Amino acid sequence: MLELRNVSAAYGQHLALQGIDLTVHEGEMVVMLGANGAGKSTLLSVIAGQVPARRGSGVSMAGIDLLGLLPHRVVEAGVALVPEGRGIFGAMTVRENLLLGAYPKRARAEERCSLARVMTLFPKLEERLGQVAGTMSGGEQQMVAIGRALMSAPRLLLLDEPSLGLSPLMAGELFKALERIREIDVSVLFVEQNARKSLAIADRGYLIENGTVVGEGTAAALLADDSVQQAYLGVAKRA
Amino acid sequence: MAFLDALLNGLTLGGMYALVAMGLTLQYGVARIMNLSYGEFLIAAAFAAYWLFQVQAINPLLALLLVVPVAFAANWLIYQIMLHPLVKRSRNRGELEVNSILATFGLLFVIQGLVLLLFGSNYFSYTYISNVFIVAGSPLAADRLLAVAVAVVMGSGLYLLLMRTRPGTALRAVSVDPRAAQLAGIDVRAASAMAFALGGGLVAASGVLVSMFTTFNASMGVVFTMKALIVVIMGGAGHLLGALTAGLILGLVESFVAVYVAPGLTLAATFALFLIVLLVRPTGMMGRAGA
Repeated sequence: MLELRNVSAAYGQHLALQGIDLTVHEGEMVVMLGANGAGKSTLLSVIAGQVPARRGSGVSMAGIDLLGLLPHRVVEAGVALVPEGRGIFGAMTVRENLLLGAYPKRARAEERCSLARVMTLFPKLEERLGQVAGTMSGGEQQMVAIGRALMSAPRLLLLDEPSLGLSPLMAGELFKALERIREIDVSVLFVEQNARKSLAIADRGYLIENGTVVGEGTAAALLADDSVQQAYLGVAKRA
Repeated sequence: MAFLDALLNGLTLGGMYALVAMGLTLQYGVARIMNLSYGEFLIAAAFAAYWLFQVQAINPLLALLLVVPVAFAANWLIYQIMLHPLVKRSRNRGELEVNSILATFGLLFVIQGLVLLLFGSNYFSYTYISNVFIVAGSPLAADRLLAVAVAVVMGSGLYLLLMRTRPGTALRAVSVDPRAAQLAGIDVRAASAMAFALGGGLVAASGVLVSMFTTFNASMGVVFTMKALIVVIMGGAGHLLGALTAGLILGLVESFVAVYVAPGLTLAATFALFLIVLLVRPTGMMGRAGA
């Protein structure tokens, strides 16, 4: 469904991405692992239309060319990004945040349906609808951010380090919620530091280093891989 | 009844300040354009109302229906043609602020020049309603009262539009965080153009209302720009209720200083108040920290 071919991007002289090929199939949950500065966030920004890709790159979603589209057009094409740091509107209530998510034309007709779906996914938010989002805990704000993205009726959800800054308990709850996103027919491409937990819920994974893909495979294969264990799972080298 | 005089005068003055500032807070808070030619639009609208009234015998309330849509369209075009290239070119908010100040400073002279060309540099005024009400022994001019009533209606309308409707919520979202607004599927360029045009429509409306009871000339725009700026910054940029409160406070302070201290000190009082607010709350009375 999402097809990236030979994607490159640069910040000035600095080449952040070089020839990335990546695919997300319908209904799939795919994780990108890699050190800080490897280019994972840049890749999500390129898909979302916030960072321009270099000539020769190809990004398409269900046959629609996403390159060159403004960010709000990408949302209309069915791709919703939850950026690192969440990007929610802190001064607004949870309800306002969620309803803003349904701003795209594609989402308006389904607004009520989507809201009900978000409420089932994050029951905690239901009792907090009137609360000002900025006064919530980090984990709850992340739920609002994901909820808002889901309100746009996306076919693909992009998440940039959703568990960043959350307590282990909250992070656990978040991963459980992510697992359930699968049930509502939304594909997910996400970036995570927590390799073990994310590989446990993902179907496939990509390893990104210095702006290139250095490895890919099913989540099970990656979990079992020696080099992955050393680099991302903190397992000591076997004697 | 000096006290009641001062109070009534202060409230009407403050109501007008609030209305004048609301347009600027939309332009600055949502579209992020610091519009130095803001007051020129007010004066241009005042002259348009004058001309419509004296030459075409169209009363100022009907003039609103003509002047406001024209100003809305003109400001929308100005944003799309002149200001959007600046938005595209500016790498951050600070740069856009400097660019927009320079560009609109030029626009100020263009509009002022046109008004000077058409009307000359004399002072103008006209009398639409000359009735005076007596409220508890204090005189209150009917034209002022009417202006404030219209201002209240428009202010509340705008408030409801921003707080209760989907497009209004989108404008607020752009004002808080344009990047996040894009991700929520909002066309930030369209929203900014809309906010700028709405601001232009509001300032034109203020111009028509002000013209009913003030004497004005072609070079007075900067006074209104300054007052509006002070009110916007005092209230917190992009904050409608902040602009309302700050406008009313400013009107009351000016009015009371004029009655009880000295009329010559009103401007000094304005700036003293402005300074105090800036020292105590740099983001404005209702501004968000770090916004």
